[in-house]
Amino acid sequence: MFAEALFFGFAVLSVLGAIGLLVFRHPMNGAMSLVVTMISLAGLYALLSAKLIFALQLIVYAGAIMSLVLFIIMFLNIQESDLPAEKGRWLYQLGGIIVIIPIASFLIKIVKSIPGSKATIVGSGFGGVKEVGLVLFQDWLLPFEIVSILLLVALLGAVVLAGKRRMSK
Amino acid sequence: MIQDYLILSVILFCLGILGVITRRNVFSVFMSIELMLNAANLAFIAFSRLHESMDGHVLALMVMAVAAAEAALALAVVILLHKHKSKLDTNIFSLLKG
Repeated sequence: MFAEALFFGFAVLSVLGAIGLLVFRHPMNGAMSLVVTMISLAGLYALLSAKLIFALQLIVYAGAIMSLVLFIIMFLNIQESDLPAEKGRWLYQLGGIIVIIPIASFLIKIVKSIPGSKATIVGSGFGGVKEVGLVLFQDWLLPFEIVSILLLVALLGAVVLAGKRRMSK
Repeated sequence: MIQDYLILSVILFCLGILGVITRRNVFSVFMSIELMLNAANLAFIAFSRLHESMDGHVLALMVMAVAAAEAALALAVVILLHKHKSKLDTNIFSLLKG
């Protein structure tokens, strides 16, 4: 009963944060409402007894990535006049909702046909660092190495993009 | 129930699509993509709980790493475009149109 109440609260908070991202005009307000979504998703991961992903969601997503985005938004010093006009945005969003609703109802119909089970919280032996690490370094070793190469390439790309101006002078 | 988590994931993903196709601010589009990645992560974790296996958690870790790499590169590109055009409108960034 308590878990259902927590799920309802986190779900409402995450959907409200996502709607705020769509509605707010200034990207700073949108980023703050996305942080609300990230934190409530971390709570949902904890309800699904994914302890490691819960911690990583808070540290990596709500901590690192969103603070990087906020840093860039503040760095560019965006004023109200720099924002695109977005005339007729509400009309666009209405059209988008009309296009999205059939897809969403189709997906929800598929999801409802899945045989579900109770999402009770598992104490130990599921979702901890040990279990995830065992699977990660045994079955998923090659994808893990490929992701590390991807991160290296992204690092090099960021350095090249940031240093281009200095080289051309 | 697990289906509630999956339905929430569908709703968040559709809100992300809506943000990508209706907003014209670069940062709003970028954060909508992040929202879609998060919705996919929620679906992975819910399926992992449903099948009592850890593979979904590992996939969620991979998605987080890809999102971090994407954030670093996309924000570098946005800074360069802002230096060149000093605008944040996605309709102005049409350099590849030919």
